[in-house]
Amino acid sequence: MKLARALTLAAAASAVLFAQQFKFNLDHLAAKASDTVDVSLSGPLLQLGARFLDSHDPDEAKVKKMIAGIEGIYVRHFEFKQEGAWTAGDLEGVRSQLKAPDWQRIVGWKSAEDGETAEVYLRLEGSKMTGVAILAAQPKAFTVVNIAGPVDLDALSQLGGHFGVPKVKPDTPKQKK
Amino acid sequence: MDWLEQELKSALARKEPPPEFAEGVAKALDGVLPDAASGPRRNLVAWPSRTARRWLAAAAAILLMVGGGAGYRWHQGVEAKRQVMLAFHIAGGRLNHLRTHLKEVSQ
Amino acid sequence: MTATVLEPSAQAALDFAGLMKQHQAMVFSVAYHYLHDREVAREVAQEVFLGLHRNLAAIQSPAHAGFWLRKVAVQRSIDEGRRRLRRPQVPLEDVAEPAVEAAPGDPLLGETLRKLIATLAEAPRMVMILRYQEDLDPMEISEVLEIPLATVKSHLQRSLALLREKLARRGLGER
Repeated sequence: MKLARALTLAAAASAVLFAQQFKFNLDHLAAKASDTVDVSLSGPLLQLGARFLDSHDPDEAKVKKMIAGIEGIYVRHFEFKQEGAWTAGDLEGVRSQLKAPDWQRIVGWKSAEDGETAEVYLRLEGSKMTGVAILAAQPKAFTVVNIAGPVDLDALSQLGGHFGVPKVKPDTPKQKK
Repeated sequence: MDWLEQELKSALARKEPPPEFAEGVAKALDGVLPDAASGPRRNLVAWPSRTARRWLAAAAAILLMVGGGAGYRWHQGVEAKRQVMLAFHIAGGRLNHLRTHLKEVSQ
Repeated sequence: MTATVLEPSAQAALDFAGLMKQHQAMVFSVAYHYLHDREVAREVAQEVFLGLHRNLAAIQSPAHAGFWLRKVAVQRSIDEGRRRLRRPQVPLEDVAEPAVEAAPGDPLLGETLRKLIATLAEAPRMVMILRYQEDLDPMEISEVLEIPLATVKSHLQRSLALLREKLARRGLGER
């Protein structure tokens, strides 16, 4: 049975979407995913969450500082048991919305060998950052993030480890030397 | 291996779990409640499966959401905070991953 | 990679209690060094062994059991760490150290290193534990964590550099 970890607060779902800066169009991936993270927080709920952050905890203090200027954070993260669940069309469906003049791609990386790709876009109004989009895909994972508002990307990158949850299969081990 | 790596091997040497560890596993396998005197963290029910825990958490969240008052608001705030941290953690993780790869390429 | 098919009598030798006794230190230590909380590590380790019991029929050999336990211990520790989404929940100075055999080297340095390891980000933290607790080489770590080999090496290099720097600032280090 698929374990869908839907975290969206249903009570707020209808109110939050206006601040999201582009559509994800990824609901079809949820049906294939073994694990799904779906976060949509903005407005009063985002501020409520921020109030509960502990300033004495280093990570929470960092996030509290980052939240101060933002209007919303939206995350869809899917993990799959098999490769091939997402397609280039899924990537393009997001990318096609992140074009000039509103959006500017600031960094991208692709490894054909590992089947991985990752891109970061900024939404700019003049010289002012008004949003961030992160698009990341690995053979068995697909992630899209939209942060509406200015955010310190250096501080953000310090928060995360960067591997997915390891899957456990009772594989026969290689003999240890 | 240099001095730091030797010290790390020493510092991270395997440690035996507390003496009551095996007994705790045996009791859980028998479906008996874990020993309540085993320390400050007390499991008040036998461990449900991971799936059951998630459904229980979801059910609790739903019950809390349909409730009212300060208690509900508090739980809503705790849940919102958890989602905030998870969202930033995922976003930060992807950025960190990208950064690492870009550094590898530039070296 | 070789698969070992056990004879029925050998299959019976997959004795759960024996496996637990053989591997409990490994499982507990992965959890403890990762989470730096003795009680939580105990709970995680117990959960790992309950999982082994449930899946014993799928285990092909004693060696396979060890591999399986390590991988699940890593996964459960990471899950628990993500669930808590915070650094150690008590001041590091107050964390009680479990009893250990007398180890070579400076005990103050060892304690400092354990605390510093616990402050690393998730990926490098687990890489360091698998390297220096479990003595896995980078390729084996890459397989356990399912991350690229180059990433494992990068984590090792950067973490060692960071630890050296932090130790130097504290006036600890190579004598």
